[in-house]
Amino acid sequence: MESRILLVEDDPSIREVTAIGLSAAGFAVTSATDGIEGLETFRAAPFDLVLLDIMLPRMDGYEVCRQIRKNSTVPVVMLTARGDTMDVVVGLEAGADDYVRKPFDLPELIARIRAALRRAGGATDEPGELRIGGLAIDTAGRTVTRDGSDIPLTRTEFDLLTELVRHAGQVLTRDVLLDRVWGYDYLGDSRLVDVAIQRLRAKVEADPAAPGLIQTVRGAGYKAVR
Amino acid sequence: MIRGVRARLTATIVFLVLLTATVLGLAAYFFVDTRLHQQELADADAQARFDLSVITPSRLDDPPTPEQLQAFAIAFQGRGLETIVVPAQGDPFVSTASLEGSLATIPASVRALVDHGQIAYSWQGVAGHSTLVVGGRSGGTGPAVYFLHDVTPIEQALLQLRIALAVGAIVVTLVAIVASRLVARGVLAPVDEASRAAERIAGGELSARVPVTSSDEFGQWAARFNRMADSLEETIVRLERAQTQNRRFVADVSHELRTPVSALVAEASLLAGHLDALPAEARRTGELVVHDIGRLRGLVEDLIELSRFDAAGEEIRLQSVDLNRLLRDVTAARLRDAVLELPEDRIVIETDPRRLERIIGNLLDNAREHAPGSLVVVRLRANVDQVQFAVLDRGPGVPPERLERIFDRFYMADPSRRGGSGLGLAIAAEHAALLGGRIRARNREDGGLEIEVVLPVTGSLPGRDRAENRRIDDEDR
Repeated sequence: MESRILLVEDDPSIREVTAIGLSAAGFAVTSATDGIEGLETFRAAPFDLVLLDIMLPRMDGYEVCRQIRKNSTVPVVMLTARGDTMDVVVGLEAGADDYVRKPFDLPELIARIRAALRRAGGATDEPGELRIGGLAIDTAGRTVTRDGSDIPLTRTEFDLLTELVRHAGQVLTRDVLLDRVWGYDYLGDSRLVDVAIQRLRAKVEADPAAPGLIQTVRGAGYKAVR
Repeated sequence: MIRGVRARLTATIVFLVLLTATVLGLAAYFFVDTRLHQQELADADAQARFDLSVITPSRLDDPPTPEQLQAFAIAFQGRGLETIVVPAQGDPFVSTASLEGSLATIPASVRALVDHGQIAYSWQGVAGHSTLVVGGRSGGTGPAVYFLHDVTPIEQALLQLRIALAVGAIVVTLVAIVASRLVARGVLAPVDEASRAAERIAGGELSARVPVTSSDEFGQWAARFNRMADSLEETIVRLERAQTQNRRFVADVSHELRTPVSALVAEASLLAGHLDALPAEARRTGELVVHDIGRLRGLVEDLIELSRFDAAGEEIRLQSVDLNRLLRDVTAARLRDAVLELPEDRIVIETDPRRLERIIGNLLDNAREHAPGSLVVVRLRANVDQVQFAVLDRGPGVPPERLERIFDRFYMADPSRRGGSGLGLAIAAEHAALLGGRIRARNREDGGLEIEVVLPVTGSLPGRDRAENRRIDDEDR
């Protein structure tokens, strides 16, 4: 089945050529030209992935992402025109899973989309349950519960958590996490990891200010503590 | 300088005050000293004349009897005078035992004058007392009589006067020091003000001025100083504004270019996959379009990167970085033919890998563009507190007078060559500075260019955005 991609981009040339390229690569692309239209399109039909420009008319990409995140864990990849560091961080904090910097090659963009979809597929996970510090992780159902109540995690957050928990007690460097969770084989942006950890802690830690489950190992990376 | 002037002014005033005090004190002292001694001598002389001519002849025979001498001595002791009587024959008679032998201490010249019937005197110490000795012969021909006036009170009074004058001199000197410092400060205050103002201007506070408080030479000078500062400030502000406008223009242009260039890049990447499908006469043009869009993208990205440096607020993200691996990976991606000279041991430092990658990548691009086809070596070395990596080529090098400028923006060492944007080395230098390192270029002895980057090994870097890092990594720092 073709993966359905929602492309929200205001520049007509970029929108058109991206749609052409993605269609040629075998995706079913639906385009939207501004934030509000993007959000309405997203709510009207199911999508496997959202490509979201930041600087959009009517509603910016951050806000669209926050709205989507209210009730969806669909992978969101930002298209950031400015390389400003704040841009990237704000987008990730709004719940984006990954970002692609403009200008981008289409093959580069397609590679990022495939990596995000592969993770979202999740079919490769063998059924099982992981337990750590009051959390129960259902690897097949991709759900996390604490004392029976569901904790909604995005796919990236879920993958990050299971990766850490599967190697509990072991320090995983940012590079390793970028490779295993985001699919970067070479020099990804370590902010992806840091911001995702921050969001994950806010959801699973009893006290996010004093994390007891996922600890930072200074100068090395992160580890889950049993 | 000002300190020197103040010290000299103070020293001069103090010296003059001290000199005046000394001259006045010495003059006063000698006047009093002389007057006191003269007075005492005049009194003693008159007394002696009267005593010798009127009193002694009636009391002492020639030679005097012991009883007469005894009575004589007692009578004068009643007036506070000790006496020595020297008869023509026999031993001298002294009024108290302590004066035994004192006759010999009276100068011989005085005794000779007395023997000749004259009245003579001597200031001297007798038996431990300052004494005025006045001698003469009783009735002019009788036994020689010496009257001993104890002048200790006079000497004590003079000693007190000396102490008083010395204390006075010290007090005057201290007062002079304080007063002269105050005066010096007052006189030099405008100089101090100007000095402080100049310092503040030099420190970047361009609005600093000297208060104009008088219409004298200092006042005029202050006004002129301020006029100079005004024009300096105006010039600097104008230059800064021009530079800011210039940078904003570059930033705006590059950002405006970004969207169309993004579209072009995406379009070119799509076109690149279909070049074979183009008719033969359009294929070469298509290849050129794809290639030139790549160049345009590089230029715009370099411009945007540079305008980010100008906007400051650059964030540094430290990580443990395996330099051997990073150099190997970047070289493989950017200039596959380059030769790696890496140490056997892994070198790991705390740094920002993305910036490091940009530096190495840009150095390799530079070598590829300016030394096409030549052997390029990537070398890594390390010692205790720093690591050095260098990219060495066998190209034409750079004329020595242009070496320093190759890190300037848009500088092309060889203007005829139209390779890159002219920004790559400037960007590399900015990144190196942000990582606390240095970058430098030199011509190799046997031909070619070597560009070396030196990075500190310590984790503390200048100019990193702590707040930003803390925000992201919470307890990581």
